[in-house]
Amino acid sequence: MNAVFERRLRRMRARMLVRQWNYKQLRHSRGSWFRLRRALAHAREAFAISADAAQQLLAEGHRVEPVGAELAPPKRIVLVSSARVARIASARPLTVSLNAELLAAECLALVPFVEDSIHVGRQREG
Amino acid sequence: MVFRDRLLATIRAARPVLEAEGVVVVGSEVPNLLEPDAAATLVVSQDLDLGVLVEHHAAVKARLPELRDFEPSADEPSVWTPRSPELLELNFLGMDPKQEPDDAYVFDDDRLPLLVFGALSLISAGDELRIAEVRVRLPRPAGVLLEKLITDRTGEKGERDLLVALGLLTVADPADLADLERAYGRLRPELQHTVRSSLTILSLLAPRAGMPDPRPRREDVAALLRRLEAAEVDR
Repeated sequence: MNAVFERRLRRMRARMLVRQWNYKQLRHSRGSWFRLRRALAHAREAFAISADAAQQLLAEGHRVEPVGAELAPPKRIVLVSSARVARIASARPLTVSLNAELLAAECLALVPFVEDSIHVGRQREG
Repeated sequence: MVFRDRLLATIRAARPVLEAEGVVVVGSEVPNLLEPDAAATLVVSQDLDLGVLVEHHAAVKARLPELRDFEPSADEPSVWTPRSPELLELNFLGMDPKQEPDDAYVFDDDRLPLLVFGALSLISAGDELRIAEVRVRLPRPAGVLLEKLITDRTGEKGERDLLVALGLLTVADPADLADLERAYGRLRPELQHTVRSSLTILSLLAPRAGMPDPRPRREDVAALLRRLEAAEVDR
């Protein structure tokens, strides 16, 4: 067999093994990056917010993205509507990507593309 | 020379193999050629990927002597390099519909050896278009989209694959997305996860020169992700 093909096949099979292993670990910490990316992928906008603002949102019944608790240090990631985030004085807009600024933020507010699951136990924000 | 002219000149020069039975254009040129009038505004690349069904390998090989504007690459066994800088490379890839999507094997041959990628088994032939006076068989967009999303390469190659998937999403119509959902439903759970994982990566990518800009299409990516997640819940 051609050496170039042989090398490529070997690399591909190694990647598949890693993929299988990652999939088996999905429910554990290995899956945290996927869950964080998923939360961000569903978000139209992201904002860094203060701890007080995050606390207030929780008190209002806004839904928390559980993946925030899996990170070290943990983050509070709260789902909000664009109308609600506009009323948060501390809200600082961030690029929705895995950038340093977003990863460094202790509290994040995410505005989902579909705003029907923002509140705990409610279908639609009133 | 603008990119579209290079692509069309390559298609003209590759006519002997493009019109052979069992050859389908795959890879990054597919979204370009699926644009109206093959506008080729979505992806700039250096090669034209040609999927060869292994059962038709002999017929394609027989056409190689007619490829006068290309010669076999000294480094890459399945690549034919152009004799003119105004053409793109031809990259031959093996396709075997019976193969598992996460497997690969080598189809050995002295003249046209092929790496047969299992992910290409998701691709089925679509419309035959006449482009630059050449009959070009294009794949159905859903299969190529899925292939790009399960390929799971890393680094620059991986990002380019995902942005090609975005280009396909740009030209896909509702019937293509329904096709994609059905094909997704037939994948093993691990590969389904890879598709969803790739979509989350695509959604967060930065723009790259010569590729579709993911930022204005994030909502479409999220909608597709939601649709596939809903399909999971429904099962």
